Amino acid sequence: MGAFKVTVRKKARYVEEDKCTGCGACEEKCPTIVPDAFNEGLGTRKAIYAYFAQGIPSTRTIDPDHCRQLNGKKCGICKKTCQAEAINFDQKDQILELDVAAIIVAAGYDVFDPSHIPEYRYSEIPNVVTAIEFERLLSASGPTDGHVYRPSDIAAKAKIEELEKKLNKASKTLKRYEEKFGETSEDFYKKFQSGELSDDEERKKWAAKYEEYLGISGPLAELKKQAEGFSSAKRLAFIQCVGSRDFRFYPFCSGYCCMHSIKEAIIAHEHEPETTSAIFGMDIRAVGKGFEEYRVRGGNQSGITYVRGRVAEIMEGENHNPIVIYEDTRERKVKRQEFDMVILATACAPTKGLPSLAKILGIELDDYGFVKTNPVSPVDTTVPGIYVCGCAESPMDVPESVAQASSAAERAAEVISLQSLNKESAVA
Amino acid sequence: MSNEVLVIGGGIAGIQSSLDLADMGIKVHLVEKLPSIGGKMAQLDKTFPTNDCAI
Repeated sequence: MGAFKVTVRKKARYVEEDKCTGCGACEEKCPTIVPDAFNEGLGTRKAIYAYFAQGIPSTRTIDPDHCRQLNGKKCGICKKTCQAEAINFDQKDQILELDVAAIIVAAGYDVFDPSHIPEYRYSEIPNVVTAIEFERLLSASGPTDGHVYRPSDIAAKAKIEELEKKLNKASKTLKRYEEKFGETSEDFYKKFQSGELSDDEERKKWAAKYEEYLGISGPLAELKKQAEGFSSAKRLAFIQCVGSRDFRFYPFCSGYCCMHSIKEAIIAHEHEPETTSAIFGMDIRAVGKGFEEYRVRGGNQSGITYVRGRVAEIMEGENHNPIVIYEDTRERKVKRQEFDMVILATACAPTKGLPSLAKILGIELDDYGFVKTNPVSPVDTTVPGIYVCGCAESPMDVPESVAQASSAAERAAEVISLQSLNKESAVA
Repeated sequence: MSNEVLVIGGGIAGIQSSLDLADMGIKVHLVEKLPSIGGKMAQLDKTFPTNDCAI
């Protein structure tokens, strides 16, 4: 105990930490747009980026998978922009050798992928989202500035923007022809089609461009008309135990999801007072200080209805509205209800890399794939000197993670203080 | 003999462990695979039951 040799790969950021001032000018100028993982793909970021606005460190990072320069294309705009001269495309990964007395595993968890449950149609219906995706929609610093816009509407708006850009480009080209020939494209096209004009190359091109223009403007007008009817989502359904308490996936209760859904429903109601929410669950597990009161307050003041029953299926109705089919076990009836959006309270799954990390460390995992511990020493792994905390050990909420983290820190500190005690007694 | 600790994962648990150890005067190496620390909690808008901001 008390002596581990660790090799760590420090990945290249391609930005020198001691020079970068975190000003963000590089990010502004970067031409490459990539879906943003922090916002669960609901927003975009650049190829040089800060993982999130308040992220620590504030040093930007270049994503080597998407950066043009690092993929052999001509770019380097960030390097030209950076006044601190912090961009370094030649930076390499560094291998660090560390000697440590103790190790704390705080590897966290993965959100269960609900596409494993085909009847919920998570990957087919755009307005069925996970709780963490909904969290980003609620966030004032998120992709929608805290407005609960439906993903189908967000996608339509993005499409409108894209079509408008294309239309703009096409109409600029048309304008050049119009000026050259002194007539509108519409008039020209009529004459061209009736065969009044000689079909030289340039006129052919003009006609083709006008056809392209019509091909864009039609669908664009249609989409814009649809977009007039868009508003934020006001009828919400929360579905509990998605992957948890389900013998096909994880038999355990993930613990925090009931409270998470109630919180999201309360916040959504705070943002938009007309919002109503239905929380579908076998039971609501509000175990913790102030939790039950929070659940009751949600029902009384935030428009939440608690429905006891497990959802059988989600269908797509008109206007991308999800329709929830469930059994109301109080009335013993199968019902269907339409919503603007459905939020899936996904299970807390062991993180993908945990088995390989466990192998490296020599620690054991439990039957579910979390780090194995003993009920009387809940932060000790099977290897002395290696401790665990947070959702790497089992599903838990933030206060529990923090409590366990302090406990693990204390256990690690014990190793070091015992070491120095032993040294002292050896000297004496 | 080493007096340092390795913390694997920079979410709320890893950050709390690291801070506690550092407050005790112990040197900590905090390893995180993503460009920023914060983990899942940084993605949360607010936390129950007080509706405090997560960040």
